[in-house]
Amino acid sequence: MRRFCFFRILGIFVMLAALMLPLPGILFARDSSNIKYEALSPWGETDPKPLKGISPRLDSLSGKKIGLFANYKRASIPIAISLKEKLEAAYPDSKFSIYHSDQWNVTEIETENSATFKKWVEGNDAVILMVGD
Amino acid sequence: MSIEELGTPVVLLVNPGFLRDAQSASSNKGMPVLRALPLNVECESTVREDIDAGTKEALPAIVGALTRPLTDHERAPKWATEQPPRIAFKGSYEDVNRFFYRSGWTDGLPIVPPTEEAVKEMMQGTDLPPDHVVAKVIPRQGKATIEKIAINAVMAGALPTHMPVIIAAVEALADQKTRFDTFEVSTGSWAPFFAINGPIRDQIHINCSSGALSPGDIANAAIGRAVGLIVKNIGGARKGVEDMGVIGDPLKYSLVIGEDEEHSPWEPLSVERGFKKGDNTLTVFFPNSYMQSVPKGTDAKGIAESMLAMNPWSMSCFIVIPSHAEILSNEGWTKKSLKEFLMKGSASPMESYKKSQGGKTESEDILSKPPAAVDPDSLMIVVAGGPGAWTGLLRSVGGIKNDFVTKKINLPKNWDKLVKKYSNIVPNYARY
Repeated sequence: MRRFCFFRILGIFVMLAALMLPLPGILFARDSSNIKYEALSPWGETDPKPLKGISPRLDSLSGKKIGLFANYKRASIPIAISLKEKLEAAYPDSKFSIYHSDQWNVTEIETENSATFKKWVEGNDAVILMVGD
Repeated sequence: MSIEELGTPVVLLVNPGFLRDAQSASSNKGMPVLRALPLNVECESTVREDIDAGTKEALPAIVGALTRPLTDHERAPKWATEQPPRIAFKGSYEDVNRFFYRSGWTDGLPIVPPTEEAVKEMMQGTDLPPDHVVAKVIPRQGKATIEKIAINAVMAGALPTHMPVIIAAVEALADQKTRFDTFEVSTGSWAPFFAINGPIRDQIHINCSSGALSPGDIANAAIGRAVGLIVKNIGGARKGVEDMGVIGDPLKYSLVIGEDEEHSPWEPLSVERGFKKGDNTLTVFFPNSYMQSVPKGTDAKGIAESMLAMNPWSMSCFIVIPSHAEILSNEGWTKKSLKEFLMKGSASPMESYKKSQGGKTESEDILSKPPAAVDPDSLMIVVAGGPGAWTGLLRSVGGIKNDFVTKKINLPKNWDKLVKKYSNIVPNYARY
């Protein structure tokens, strides 16, 4: 009889403990994964831009005037000189000129050199642009 | 771009690491199909043999890029850039954070989900309507509307009372004199520094005292963080894609300080910059390094000479602690005379640069005479910091038509109410 009582009391304890297991979660913490957020996009909109294609290519570099544009970065002039030498060897009947811009991160056509720059570009059949990086 | 627009075919040579940057730049200008080629030469190379090897390797591709006929797409490009829907994501806190991070919209730290409610509350910090465009942020000319600014501010953990400062920051960055176009994406990893003057400093708890530049104050941390997210998400300057900072800079997380006007013997920075005492202002420039030093003596001579020894370049800012400012002032130094002393005695930043180039550079003319170098106004002094004996120097460089820019901070009509609502959000440190 005493043994029966012990098991009955133990059983009640086990049942109560099982029932209480989820209680701390219910009482003391909300599962954050259950909260849903509708998050707005931080990505800025832009005005539509008219897209431009690039200029028709040359049939060959032979007999052409090719400009080498070097910007303000230190390596751009030595790269232009090196490339010019190789192009002159490969295309002896072509003409090559180097234009050096000393303006930091400004488009040359927006500077006081605009007219000179424009004239130089228009005097060439194609341009190779070095940025030094 | 401008060469192509003149009808002349171009090929662009860049280091392979800059190809995507070149693509973004040409796309932003409406020409997404510009032919760019990788040139395998060390950036800023000085070694002729390496340059020769690189140009030799690239030559066939260069010739090909100038002679290969155009594709239909190159002739008439159709480039659809993705615009995410207004509600970008629905999910749990963790899922929102993962989604935003994977979309490239965060700075690596967790963000506060920008919900409709949170953004609406953030916009209490301005009387401007949600669709008002404060500026178009370069490089992609993203429209910084009040709502987009607020979304990024919420993400950064800012309070609605910070909104007027963040709006002023966006206005300041849009000012050409900051040369934000160069600094934000430069290999030099420059970070915007914001100095705040006026009563707003105390109203929104911008720290100007002990550890003002350290983490721990919402305003100092979140205002700069919000601007960083705006630059990234509205301007489209993403690290390693368009922002080509070589080593990077932790100052980009946030670099915001208030001037301790009450404990300064000198006129506030805002007054020096042409505003009235009591005006709320924000002043910005782009340093890329921060150093601190203890003066060799605590008399005015010791402080001033030690500041000079820190070698401020043009476009730099000293952070002078109030006690040192007091000492200097008591011995007759004004901000103006101190700046004149420091700029006259300071070596040009280009001297050390030129030495590193063997005494000569290709761009020697512009490098050797940055116009701001002799101008005392190309130096800024902010009084801030706590008890102690350190002096701070934020160093930038002048000579690229850049200048400090100061903007007035405009407050909404409900400002007093808003300040009251958020006034008790301050840390209370337990004693131990």
